[in-house]
Amino acid sequence: MKRINTLLATLFLAATSGAQNLNRFPKPDFESGYQYPDTHYALPNEQLWLYIDIFLLVALMSYVAWAILKKQRRKPIIWVSFLSIAYFGFFRSGCVCSIGSIQNVALAFADSAYIIPVSVFLFFMLPIAFAFLFGRVFCAGVCPFGALQELVNIRNYRLSRAVTAVLGVIPWLYLIFALLYAVTRTSFIICLYDPFIGIFRLGGDFGLIVFGSLLLLAAIFTGRPFCRFLCPYGALLSLFSKVSIWKIQITKKDCINCDLCHNACPVDAIKSPYENKVKEERMQGVKRLLMYFLFLPLIVITSAFVLRQFSPQLSKAHKDVKLYDMVMEQERNPQDLISVELEAFYIDGGNIEALQEKVRVVKQEFEFFGTIAGALIGLVLGLSLINLSLKRSRKTYEIEHGDCVACGRCFSYCPQNDFLNLKYTGK
Amino acid sequence: MKKETLHKSPIERRKFVKMLGSAIAGGTILATTGVLFSKFRTGEETHYWQIDPQKCTQCGKCETDCVLTVSAVKCFHANKICGYCDLCGGYYRSNVKELNTAAENLMCPTGAIQRKFVEDPYFEYKIDEDLCNACAKCVKGCTSFGNGSLYLQIKRDLCVDCNECQIAKVCPSNAITRVPLAQAYKLKG
Repeated sequence: MKRINTLLATLFLAATSGAQNLNRFPKPDFESGYQYPDTHYALPNEQLWLYIDIFLLVALMSYVAWAILKKQRRKPIIWVSFLSIAYFGFFRSGCVCSIGSIQNVALAFADSAYIIPVSVFLFFMLPIAFAFLFGRVFCAGVCPFGALQELVNIRNYRLSRAVTAVLGVIPWLYLIFALLYAVTRTSFIICLYDPFIGIFRLGGDFGLIVFGSLLLLAAIFTGRPFCRFLCPYGALLSLFSKVSIWKIQITKKDCINCDLCHNACPVDAIKSPYENKVKEERMQGVKRLLMYFLFLPLIVITSAFVLRQFSPQLSKAHKDVKLYDMVMEQERNPQDLISVELEAFYIDGGNIEALQEKVRVVKQEFEFFGTIAGALIGLVLGLSLINLSLKRSRKTYEIEHGDCVACGRCFSYCPQNDFLNLKYTGK
Repeated sequence: MKKETLHKSPIERRKFVKMLGSAIAGGTILATTGVLFSKFRTGEETHYWQIDPQKCTQCGKCETDCVLTVSAVKCFHANKICGYCDLCGGYYRSNVKELNTAAENLMCPTGAIQRKFVEDPYFEYKIDEDLCNACAKCVKGCTSFGNGSLYLQIKRDLCVDCNECQIAKVCPSNAITRVPLAQAYKLKG
């Protein structure tokens, strides 16, 4: 009877504990009074750190906003930069960051099953809200990536307008592809190809660290190459900064057109006075603009169509699609030595129909979201082209608020800002 | 006549466009917050990455794909289900000739498994976490020939809680998922 009971118990155990909870060897009967060691594993207080993260984020952004808008001083930004690099960069290893949080938010919109952590949402929304109120104060020095580039920047070689215009489209394309791969649950490419995270973590992918170092090297000679030509979050913030409620002023007095601030700006956000030489009648200009906007849908539709055609290729980055291709290859041409992915697939039962169904859904998603992404790319390209054709007359130096990263360099260059308290009266 | 009416408009055109832009931007912020706010209430709190030991196939990617240079994944040992064997599948290589601690006989490439004699014929095994690099060799041996008491798990104090776990992305058996805070570790035994 006892034996039957043990047998039943073993069977029950085998049935409930799954395939890998094996009991090949019985529990030993210790005679020496051996006690099982107490194992407990460390539990850091992550919750506390998250509160500190959010608190610092808000505090630093408010401080920068105050320094930039009210005091018009650059020094606080340098301190904030050091603090941000030390805390958000090296200590917190740069995760969660606002740049990456775009993907979580996109995924939360696309996938109702995905639960977005509140801290990630705040990291996404707070800098945007601050950009809407005060401009890109997050970029100024609170973002450790911006801070790092800001601190190494010594010389300021200006890039030509053509180069900036072309490179300026990259953040948008990066953003759109990041969204596409996030909503399809393929991968978070912003996190995957982060150039500076290896530096903050003191180790990582070799190629990316080299790329990050090259970017930093470039940042010595020209202002913030990552922020301007790569950062997808910066692109997003520039939209809100453009229409921000309180705007950064170079000086609170009148501009005297001295060109000093223009030379000081590392991100080319200060536009010099410009008089449109081509005299065009107003109505003619409006008609020209309308024509452009008629062409816009054409670009959008073409680009949407093109990316839809490419969606099967794009979907190959998805894990399931990759696995499916591998399985198909293996079925067609069986190999003895198989990859770990295939091994795991066959250990798990090797249900090809289920995988096929999954892949079908993924490909469908890619077709749908790929079309939208294509349309967005068309929109970005079209609007950038239209923007190039717009010439605005300016009488004084003006800040392009979308591009301004609130670094505060221009303040001390402006002779109208009397920082040294010279009280020069011109006598 | 037409020109006059244009001049009489209460605000300038550019100012109006800017106000419109501000309104759209503010509206977007509010709308996004509103939509996502409804998600917080239904959702749980912060989540942490953990390996499901039952799903793990010991492929060895935990060692190579973690963003940390020494992976945050470590080998855990569930003493309660260990057989305390002398010929341990996780400790010795499979074709071992002599049961001694010579390096060529041992499975662990870093010597992270410590073995202590308890009483005949039982040996206690312990993982030195500072040495363990999550190569999963011992886990594979233990799962194939023993009770499966050695298993891989993500150490919460080492893990930097990446937005998207890089190992989870390459894990062939989809064993890595986020678990709620309340369930601190997915442990065996």
